[in-house]
Amino acid sequence: MTPTRRIVASVVTVVAGAVLGIGSAWLWLTRTDPAGTRVGPWLVNLEAGSSDASMYTRARIALKALLALDRRETLYYVADRDDAGRPLRSRCRYLISGSIPSARWWSLTAYADDIFLFPDTQQRYSVSGENPTLKAVGRFSAVTGPETPVSGALAWIPTPGDRGLILTLRLYNPGPALQADPGALSAPRIERQGDCP
Amino acid sequence: MSAWLAKPWQRGLALGLVVAVLTHLLTVWAVPRLIMREAMARIAQETATQPAPQAATGVYLPPPTDHTQRRIVMPSPDLLYATCALDLSKGPVRITAEVAHPRYWSVALYGANSDNFFVVNDRSAAVRSFKASDLDLRILPPGTDRATTAADSPSTVVEAPTRKVLLLMRLLVTDDPADLALAQVARSTLRCGVSQP
Repeated sequence: MTPTRRIVASVVTVVAGAVLGIGSAWLWLTRTDPAGTRVGPWLVNLEAGSSDASMYTRARIALKALLALDRRETLYYVADRDDAGRPLRSRCRYLISGSIPSARWWSLTAYADDIFLFPDTQQRYSVSGENPTLKAVGRFSAVTGPETPVSGALAWIPTPGDRGLILTLRLYNPGPALQADPGALSAPRIERQGDCP
Repeated sequence: MSAWLAKPWQRGLALGLVVAVLTHLLTVWAVPRLIMREAMARIAQETATQPAPQAATGVYLPPPTDHTQRRIVMPSPDLLYATCALDLSKGPVRITAEVAHPRYWSVALYGANSDNFFVVNDRSAAVRSFKASDLDLRILPPGTDRATTAADSPSTVVEAPTRKVLLLMRLLVTDDPADLALAQVARSTLRCGVSQP
């Protein structure tokens, strides 16, 4: 090899290596499931916001839940699949139901796949523990979907369009048992209702 | 050079792999730091472009969270936020607030690598001081000799892991407009002070 060809070969090798390195990091951070504990269809990351977080966890949290609080303050349960394991879509209707979690305050919020809120002029983005009827019955249920549910009694979070859907259940100041073992949550069910071609 | 790297293509492959591994690790390491740098630059800019009296407090008061908030992922529609981009390079910074908010609130501090290194909420604030509503923090740059700090200071002292720190205040609001009004008043008392001796 001539010196020129050798230099060109080295530059090509370095660039290819860098592309492989950055590309693999990006795919690893965005396409693989984050480490965490599974509870039904929910995933709870125990290292969010913590100084004990691994380099990969920290990067994933920064991408998907920047400025999360640590587990003593808040537990974040995130779902992108229903109980049957099918990816959540905004055009489908889902019934989310469960017992009131042991926490000082909780909320269930629907996000589009870019992790921002769905547009709604009436600002129905979440269902929370402040709802008095839910408090009274000890259980909560909510519906997400593009159209108003037939039963007007259910809390509805509109999810217009056809895109990925992410549900986040936040528990602020979780009870001691959940704090010690977030996997002990009685996981809210996520049931798809009706056909969704 | 050992025998297995004798051939040029072997050396090329080895070089490419080393570059790939290093850029992979560097990318994962850099992602949270770059995202935090971007977020803090935006917050500093938003703080400065507010009307002069609010800009002088060092605090950015974003509008109530709705679907038009597309800056920081996974915004909670049930929280009203206030935020500061702190720079400790000129010395400690004092944070004060008189938070007479009847619901959950917290103030969290994040390092430049996105770790949540400190959090205080309405309950723990009540334990720390005689007046539950008073928040008084003195944030020290990394490596500060504690002996040089005033022992009789009324402030809770927190040593930051990095010189750039992001402060995020959360206040729970509900559908009740009175709640939102109280939260607005409470967050307006937050002061992310200038450097002091």
